[in-house]
Parts: sequence; C-alpha cells; structure tokens
Amino acid sequence: MKLFCIDPFKKEFDKLSGKKSYKDLESELIGYFFNKEASDLNTGSLLNNNHETPYIKKRLSGRGGYRIYYLLLIKNDGLYLMFVHPKTGSEGASNTSNEYKAHLYKEVLRCIKENDLYELSLSESGKKIVFKHLGD
Amino acid sequence: METIEQILETTYRTVREFSYNEKKSLQVSEEERINEMLDAINDFKKNLSDRTSKMTEIIDLMERVTWVKKDPSEESLMMINDVISSSKDLRSSLIRLYISFEDYRKKGIVKEEIKAFKHTIDDFTEMYEDLEAKFFFLPKMPDFQETTRQLSLV
Repeated sequence: MKLFCIDPFKKEFDKLSGKKSYKDLESELIGYFFNKEASDLNTGSLLNNNHETPYIKKRLSGRGGYRIYYLLLIKNDGLYLMFVHPKTGSEGASNTSNEYKAHLYKEVLRCIKENDLYELSLSESGKKIVFKHLGD
Repeated sequence: METIEQILETTYRTVREFSYNEKKSLQVSEEERINEMLDAINDFKKNLSDRTSKMTEIIDLMERVTWVKKDPSEESLMMINDVISSSKDLRSSLIRLYISFEDYRKKGIVKEEIKAFKHTIDDFTEMYEDLEAKFFFLPKMPDFQETTRQLSLV
C-alpha cells in the first residue's frame, strides 16, 4: 500500500516531532502504517459512509496517545494521512471540531485531484519517515 | 451477522445499566465511600479497573456501529441518539466519581488506575462525540456527501 499525506498532516508531524514529549510519534506511525495491507488499516471509527473510500479516525498508542485521520482508497491501494494530534501534553486536544473534520475531507479530495501530496517512505535505517512532495 | 439494531440494542443496554448503577452509587455519602475505599484499596482498584474495562467495551461497540454497511433506518438513528444521550448522562456520573477521587490522587493512592480511568472517560467522550458527528453532523455539512461521491470516482 502506498502512503501519502497532505500538508495539514505534515505540518503537525513536523511540529510534534520537534518536541521531546512526542518523540514516540514517528515510531508509532511507522509501526502502524508502514508495510501494511488495506485490510490491516480498516479499523478505528469510520467517519464517512463509504467502505471503498473510508475516512477513518484511529486512536494510536492506547489511552491518551495520538489521533490520526486518514483516507483509504482501496481500489488505488493508497492511504492518505490527513491530520494528527496528541490527546495530552502541551499540544494536546480532546477532539477536532466537526467543521475541521469536514474541511480535512474536502482538502484531501483537492490534494488528490491536484497531486498536491507528499509520498511517504522509510529511510535506510527504517527509523525515519521521508517525505517527498509529488509536485516538485 | 449482527444487525445495526442488535449492536445498538447491546450498546444502549450496556450504557443504560452502567449509567443507572453509577447514579445509585453516588447516593452513598462521600465519607462512607472514602472509608469503604480506605478499608479495601484492592477492591477499589478492581472496581476502578472494571469500570475502565466497561467503558472500553462500550467504545469498541460504538466503533463497530460506525462500520455497519447498511444505511441506518429512522429507528436505528433514534437508537443511536438514545445511546449518545445516555452516554452523556453516564459521563457526568463518571466525572463526578473522578472528582471524588481528588484526595487519593493527591496522596498518590492507586494513581495509575485513576489516571487510566480518566483517560478512558476522555476516550469514551470522544467516541460518542464522533458517533454523533458521523450520524448527525457530518452528513449535513456543506459538500460532505458530495466529497464522498467524488472520492468514489477518483
């Protein structure tokens, strides 16, 4: 499965990765999303009503931890990370608003249509996520 | 295969019973409760862990509700609304219970269990908010349904 993300995800990832209290985010993402099949990632809360293009909110890292919003395009074998936020700590949030959930959904559609996406891969060590913007 | 009505019935029954029992337990005076808990720290830990597990069970049930393929009927939507209302009521009781643990938290008694209990209340709150978002708010957001339609064409 190919992994992509949109700008709101990358911005949050960059911000959180620079903070000591969220240093486990990258390894959590690698462990959960990389080298997986779509069927492994069809879990969490389904926010839309289409099982072929599920818009999913996933709780990562148990209690507290992180919330990841992503879209799966099953027929294209693609996963699109849309947003991440921690539940606790200085950047923690209890939830996102419904307006923002809807905004992200529209935004991922725009990004897919315009190819305004980052493709994600792993570094040689397998411990770092490498982002490559497709438009560049 | 379970129908959405069956899952909702189970979810509603679980929330309803749990909510009722929490309200009943709040009728015991705080002093009595504190004395009882000091007398039996282990029982307290177990009770707390049981409540946390019950909330986790409800969260899992609610997540399953979001994945049911068939569009919910009017009756199912009413049941979902009942589940959400009872969950809000339950949350109030659980938060009152959590606040009553203030002394324990300050003294570091069963600290980890209390922390897990609070985190799970937060997860539970988030889950019923998302259930409400999925069935009642997001479908009415401008362009949400249209985005779903367009994504299926990508």
